[in-house]
Amino acid sequence: MGEVVLACEGLKKRYGDLWVLKGIDFEIEKGQTKVIIGPSGSGKSTFLRLMGLLEPPTEGKIYFEGKDVYGSGLDLNMIRAKIGFVFQEPSLFRHLTALGNVKLGPKVVLKMKDDEAERKALEALKTVRLEEWSHHYPAQLSGGQQQRVGIARALAMDPDIILFDEPTASLDIELTWEVIDVMKDLARRGVTMLVVTHELGFAKEVADEILFMDDGRIIESGPPEELLKNPKSPRAREFLRRLIGGV
Amino acid sequence: MFTLENFLFLLQGVPNTLAISFLSFALGFALGIPTAIVKQFSPYGLGHVADAYISVMRGIPVLVIMLLFHFGMAGIIPVFKSAFLSATFALGLRSGAFQSQIFRGAINSVGRQQMMAATSLGMNRWQAFRYVILPQAFIVALPGLGSEIALLIKDSSYAFVLGVLELTKYSDIVRKATRSFLYPYLIAAILYILITFPVANYLDRLGSRLKTKYGLR
Ligand SMILES: Nc1ncnc2c1ncn2[C@@H]1O[C@H](COP(=O)(O)OP(=O)(O)OP(=O)(O)O)[C@@H](O)[C@H]1O
Ligand SMILES: [Mg+2]
Repeated sequence: MGEVVLACEGLKKRYGDLWVLKGIDFEIEKGQTKVIIGPSGSGKSTFLRLMGLLEPPTEGKIYFEGKDVYGSGLDLNMIRAKIGFVFQEPSLFRHLTALGNVKLGPKVVLKMKDDEAERKALEALKTVRLEEWSHHYPAQLSGGQQQRVGIARALAMDPDIILFDEPTASLDIELTWEVIDVMKDLARRGVTMLVVTHELGFAKEVADEILFMDDGRIIESGPPEELLKNPKSPRAREFLRRLIGGV
Repeated sequence: MFTLENFLFLLQGVPNTLAISFLSFALGFALGIPTAIVKQFSPYGLGHVADAYISVMRGIPVLVIMLLFHFGMAGIIPVFKSAFLSATFALGLRSGAFQSQIFRGAINSVGRQQMMAATSLGMNRWQAFRYVILPQAFIVALPGLGSEIALLIKDSSYAFVLGVLELTKYSDIVRKATRSFLYPYLIAAILYILITFPVANYLDRLGSRLKTKYGLR
């Protein structure tokens, strides 16, 4: 058994009168890749934002490397720095080049010297195969390149885990592949990843586990072969039938 | 008769017009950015102070502030003995309130997603603001700042009432001396346009160019 990087217990989230997360228990070990699938509005993004400490839970606990994140007066920013986040929406800093984007965290948060941060950033850009694009601004990059810079920006922080929220949902098919290929690479290199995606090819190839989320709960989970071929719950079966059938 | 000499004489008002406008703009900038930041973070509940400042400056005609400073407060605050400084401070104070509103709008236009991305890297609110939000907001604010400079150049003409020797005052002197009623003011009007237009237009175009380059809205 590996060490648990990120976990939660009885996690709930309410917006106004709407309970978006209704009690989630989850954990992910070092080196694992877990994939979350589920219908629109089931709370996948909310769950990820909570696990990335970008929003506090209404109820429940989140543990980072065994420590109760909100319960023990920890410096949240220091933990956030260790949890990478790749968003669905365009999120690159628009006034900075690709290199500037990737460098900023190491410089400002990790207090690295400029040349050290730059070395770190170039290495990360190389990992996502964009070293030649380092001096381009986000507006000059394709959607797929922007997402890869986003991945590099997370990587440059040497995170203990990276959370991906449908990083390819707004991309054309070819651009999706280039992003997914990079993500597969990372998974194979042992980067710990929690990924919301409906790219089942990715899930089949690299996921240790798939979690099916519906109506604020994880209602089924298992290894990809099992969950994708023989979903137990009717909801998961219906969802997968539509997803694969494309209806 | 309005002669070339009259014209050259009138031109002597331009430096003071420029000085009042640009100094008050600089003062407004120095006040506007912190006011916008205070409104954003409201440290120690200071947000209300910023709100009050903005409301007051929006509610008083700038000429009244000038008169108040120069004639009403020179006894208490010695700098206001100078008509030039009274006018500059009055305009600068009002500009600070206006510029803070320009920056507020620009800050809001940068959007939540940028803040969220900065937070996800572990930046605190101030770091996110300093390195991510403010540089983008500044670009978005450029056209608004251009309009603000134009406003200051035009409103610097109120300093005439305090007796500051700026462009409007000079055109009035020429009017009295030459008994030509049309030309002195007409020339002044044209000079105001010639000063205002390039500055405002430059900031407008710079703003558009950078917005396109960076894909900002
Ligand atoms: N900040 C918020 N305020 C209010 N309601 C919200 C907020 N964020 C999400 N919601 C609501 O919570 C529910 C779940 O949203 P969420 O974005 O987590 O779902 P999702 O599974 O990621 O969906 P999708 O597949 O469309 O991305 C939705 O009904 C949404 O409207
Ligand atoms: Mg979502």
